[in-house]
Amino acid sequence: MADKETTIYILDLGSSMADCHNGRTESDLDWSMRWIWDKISTTAAASRKTWHVGVIGVRTDETKNAMEDQDGYEHISVLQDLEPMDLPKMRNLRDSIKPSNTLEGDCISALIPAIDMIDTVAPQRLKFNRKIFMVTSGEAPLDLDPDDIQSIADKLKSNNIALTILGIDFDDAEFGFKEEDKTELKAANEALLRSLTEACGEDLGTFGTIAEAIDELDTPRLKATKPYKPYDGPLTLGDPEVDPRAMRINVERYFKTKKANPPTASNVVVRTDHGTQSTSTLEDGDEMQGVEYGGGEFAAVKNARTYKVNDPDAPGGKRDVEFDSLAKGYEYGRTAVHISEAEFNITKLETTKGFSIIGFIQQDKYEPFLNFGESCFTVAQKNSTADSMKLSSLIHSLHELESYALARLVVKDGKDPILVLLAPHIDPDFECLYDVPLPFAEDVRHYPFPPLDKVITVNNKTLTKHRYLPSQDLEETMSEYVDAMDISTYALDDEGERTFEYAAVDDTYSPSLHRINQVVRDRAIHPDKPVPPIPHILLKYAQPDRDLVEAAKTRLDDLIETAEVKKVPPKATGKKRQHERARPISGLDVDALLKMPDNKRTKIDPDNAIPSFKQMMSNANDVSDFSEAAKQLGQIVRQLVTDSFGDRNFDRVIENLGVFREFMINYEEPMLYNDFMGDFKKRLLSGELGGDRRELWWQLKGARIGLIDKEASEESKITREEAAEFWKK
Amino acid sequence: MAERNDHYKREEDEEEEEEEELDENYYKAQKDALLFAINVSPSMLKDPPPSEDKKAIKDNAVIAALKSAHQVMQQRIISNAKDMMGIILFGTEKTKYVDFDGKPSNLSYPHCYVYTPLDVPAAEDVKQLRSFVHDGDDEDQLLVPSPDGVDIKDLLFCANQIFTQKAPNFGSRRLFIITDNDDPHPGDKSASESARTRAQDLYDLGVNIEVFPITHGEDSKFDLTKFYDNIVYPDPTSEALDSERFNTSKSGDLNSLIKNITSKQTPKRAYFSNMTFELGPGLNISVKGYNIIQKQSPARSCYIWLDGETAQMAVSETTRMAEDTTRTVSTGEVKKAYKFGGEYVYFSPEEQKEVKQFGSSTIRIIGFKDRSLLKFWMSMKKSVFIYPSEEGYIGSTRVFSALWKKLLKSGKIGIAWHVSRTNANPVLVAVIPSRAQDDEDSGTPFLPAGLWLYPIPFADDVRPPPGVKTVRTTDELTNQMNKIVRVLQLPNAAYDPTKYPNPSLQWHYRILQALALEEEVPDEPDDKTKPKTKAIHKRVGGHIEDWSNLADQELTKYEEQQGIKRELEHDDEPRPAKKAKKTIKAENGDGGSVMNDAALKKKFNSGELTKLKVVDLKDILAAHGLDTKGKKAELVERLEQWVEDNL
Repeated sequence: MADKETTIYILDLGSSMADCHNGRTESDLDWSMRWIWDKISTTAAASRKTWHVGVIGVRTDETKNAMEDQDGYEHISVLQDLEPMDLPKMRNLRDSIKPSNTLEGDCISALIPAIDMIDTVAPQRLKFNRKIFMVTSGEAPLDLDPDDIQSIADKLKSNNIALTILGIDFDDAEFGFKEEDKTELKAANEALLRSLTEACGEDLGTFGTIAEAIDELDTPRLKATKPYKPYDGPLTLGDPEVDPRAMRINVERYFKTKKANPPTASNVVVRTDHGTQSTSTLEDGDEMQGVEYGGGEFAAVKNARTYKVNDPDAPGGKRDVEFDSLAKGYEYGRTAVHISEAEFNITKLETTKGFSIIGFIQQDKYEPFLNFGESCFTVAQKNSTADSMKLSSLIHSLHELESYALARLVVKDGKDPILVLLAPHIDPDFECLYDVPLPFAEDVRHYPFPPLDKVITVNNKTLTKHRYLPSQDLEETMSEYVDAMDISTYALDDEGERTFEYAAVDDTYSPSLHRINQVVRDRAIHPDKPVPPIPHILLKYAQPDRDLVEAAKTRLDDLIETAEVKKVPPKATGKKRQHERARPISGLDVDALLKMPDNKRTKIDPDNAIPSFKQMMSNANDVSDFSEAAKQLGQIVRQLVTDSFGDRNFDRVIENLGVFREFMINYEEPMLYNDFMGDFKKRLLSGELGGDRRELWWQLKGARIGLIDKEASEESKITREEAAEFWKK
Repeated sequence: MAERNDHYKREEDEEEEEEEELDENYYKAQKDALLFAINVSPSMLKDPPPSEDKKAIKDNAVIAALKSAHQVMQQRIISNAKDMMGIILFGTEKTKYVDFDGKPSNLSYPHCYVYTPLDVPAAEDVKQLRSFVHDGDDEDQLLVPSPDGVDIKDLLFCANQIFTQKAPNFGSRRLFIITDNDDPHPGDKSASESARTRAQDLYDLGVNIEVFPITHGEDSKFDLTKFYDNIVYPDPTSEALDSERFNTSKSGDLNSLIKNITSKQTPKRAYFSNMTFELGPGLNISVKGYNIIQKQSPARSCYIWLDGETAQMAVSETTRMAEDTTRTVSTGEVKKAYKFGGEYVYFSPEEQKEVKQFGSSTIRIIGFKDRSLLKFWMSMKKSVFIYPSEEGYIGSTRVFSALWKKLLKSGKIGIAWHVSRTNANPVLVAVIPSRAQDDEDSGTPFLPAGLWLYPIPFADDVRPPPGVKTVRTTDELTNQMNKIVRVLQLPNAAYDPTKYPNPSLQWHYRILQALALEEEVPDEPDDKTKPKTKAIHKRVGGHIEDWSNLADQELTKYEEQQGIKRELEHDDEPRPAKKAKKTIKAENGDGGSVMNDAALKKKFNSGELTKLKVVDLKDILAAHGLDTKGKKAELVERLEQWVEDNL
């Protein structure tokens, strides 16, 4: 849970805000709203009940605030009280944030109702982040004397409210902006506003120009997270229960890396019951802290499950069973093993919480690609000098001996044990053990691969020169290219020198996460606009840096020349390929054998359909042979469907059709397949092939073996759209 | 047989992040059917000569082969829960074929005996096979060779029919032939030719034949060129020039046979194929990717229907309903939208696609770095192994090899932008070389040589450290710890995963097996991950004791220094504190609010624990790994209990 937060935006809505300045084609208001909307929508996206947003307009036509009876608070309107932010409120705001017809109104006065609003929602005894952002062009006269400035600043300070004033075209030397033809009034206002933030002190007051804030919008913001501690307890060597000499250090283990996933889209349907009030809340809204998904155009979709079992006597071979009649269990192979509710934990390994060192390994004997999960770090129990010093001795020892520790970790009683590797980390003011999870025996598959530095022939001879092996030249040009493309110190430092690591973790942002956040926010603010383009920063590391490539160009050219890599032409089309039949290891020409009259296949054997179809196709002499093969296979497929008891033959049907389709693409006869499928669909859906076969239809769709379209085969006349249409009943 | 359902349900149901193995044969189910064909003949049944060697195998070749099949069956139940397996004995006097439902059929292939019909193994199959091989329970007289031998074409067509009917549309179908006869049809041209034709059929059906030859004694040879090279086709999944095509096992050598067979129990499956690896603009090669490291977890629990003759698993089907009205909705109505501020924000399917479009699938090098810049903690998920393939670019292998050599030699890694398939989330990966398996310096000889795509975290994925104060060790204390670390090195000073089976996974299946076979449930798991505490106490118990005592001394020193420092600070004199030992990082403020054991004991004895503040009590409790919840009285009681028990 993040901290509680109240934020008030004070917006200058004076009529002058409708004008464009300094060469912009956007009005001042639209321009500055880019930043405001970004802030507000970020809050709305988080959907937290404890994050409140309020909006106050200044220089509005109306007057609507708690002080409206007093002098000096005219043309100040509360557009939104401090409330949790959501989409309907954003819509309301969109309608009310418009340039007014007046120039009157004092934005500093607006601070008074703002402070009151914050104080009501977030009284001082509660822990809150309190913020006010003010955006103004500073063109309206401000009626203030220095004493007022001080008293407002004191009030902000005593309420612990941070004030940020962002001016439109305010001068900012650090950012590098100066408005040339500034009016005297504006210059005076700027100075006044600046003095206010200065009076608030460095911690609370910030003064800047909005251009800078807008510039920073494209830089993704990192979501703040609270430290999470998956383990808290002793780290042991030996067993203290058995032997008092065993080592025991009290530690805390926190997340170091944790995948920040992009938001996932939910399944929804268009509401059909407009008007009726929905009171339901989503059960699965776990990340939502309390904001209800009620109104709006869409309703969530939830899944209901029904259960079926095989029953030879039931139509289709299956029948429904009541969920309540089912017991829980597991599968052991295809045997269903039922375990009673009381004993359900019987297969669970009993474990006791603990973090125990198994032994130590050498750092250079470990490879990073062996780990397979997110990392954590372990520090000593907070405020325990003894544990801190003890853990430090382990950290320093691992460091000195260039070792890692292997440990078994059970985070809580009953949790599955995992093995983690602990590595020392020493900074001047921070020490810890980093750990990564390691695979168990079952997690490593043994796939054989031939070595890369030599070629071993079938006769067990070792070759060191081969077209699969790099020549001396190739090794050298590769080496030079790799060195030329080194980015260990390629990023610019503050002096403009290339001394920093390029693409360091801190500089890389998850493209999908920020992209989805960006478009969702954008759509929430501007429902009618098309999807905006991807910000450049998200694609920065999608390509090597242009200057770097330029600098390494001659090396790369050398490498390309030496490597002599050739692209394999796109699938050498059909008819030529057909005769390149695979041969057994001996190289024996089985085709010749199959062409012998005794062996020649002229009819597809239903029991051996795929091989005899393939052989018939490959030995075909003319188009009529192809269509004969297609006809026969089609008949076999229909028969399989008709004879199928329940779904028993469906997989064979799919396999036959898959091969059918593949071969008709390869032999450039897509129409033979498409014609068959058109007819097959009719028969299938009309119930002609042994009754209701819609289940098979869904499976065919799932296996993507529909019509062959133009993209799959140039010979096809079916468009992609027609192929997609085919699946619709 | 409803596994195909998964296929289309997956398309619609699952979240996009679902790891899907990618394959050109898109319409095929990603499942493996493995059929053992074990030759029964007098030589295969001959017991090995008696040997003094305790390790010598006492089984004949048939039993050895069946034993390895038994082991593979048990392992595959755990690792490949959906995959099928079957056993044929060939060359037997008896003949048996079973139809789809497992009932004996009139169809038959002479001298081929279907012992275990091809299917996902059932508990009964495991039990039957075990009693057959371990108890020598051959009451049906199966292990009697036919006097006329067997026609290999019959075996091959028998296998063909089994695969066609029982494993339709499987992405992987394999026939393992275990025999000692390298020439089953000497001089019989027609029998050989028929076998070749049937072998071609199997090839066209997508069945891969592997021969596990057995030789008897040093002098005998198994000559593949006599017969088997004509019926075995190059394995499409093996890389060019796979040297491990055949493994000649010694007769009856159960261990090497098992090793050869188990190394192939999981079919080699590419995670992606023909992936473009862009080394630089204009230099592309093609690679394949493999999930060599993949988490194995117990299968999820399921619902079982007990009212029928045999217990069976109920298959669930999903219907979708609108939340608001609970009316059933059809697939076409369902749209995707993002939750936002209390409502949904909608994008059309085209827009969805556009949003997720980050270019085509690729591995694109953006530069190279020193290996040292890849920090230990920059770890997110498993790495994918890549190996060159000539399918997209000719010459890929040599370029890949050159890069691999260079990275190893210079201690560098590549940094690459990686999109594993269209619409997948892009990631940055480190491209790290693994050493050759015969390299003596390799810490990972169980992994193949190649490159690994190692996902690196983005800034968004990194959590900040909490503010903690560190009290540094002293040189003496570190030295004392060094003694411990030096002694407790693991074998070869490396981590070898094969030594550590997953205890919870093993236990889960062990219990299930016992329940399924109605055997006694074992009470003690064999947990190899538990530290060998006895040995640890024996070997370093003394060192640890010394280290503890030294730590107490150093701690006292440290606290004294802190005390002096505080006093000095109170004096308000900026005089430098007495120079602390260089290695001690002096801390400001309170040095140790959690008291050490001695102080705790003292407080306990004088009954002063109740005088502690709740905050301090909680800290002390937490420091000892105790629960910190409850009222003050409870906290005090808990702490007193602990002191009583432990100090």
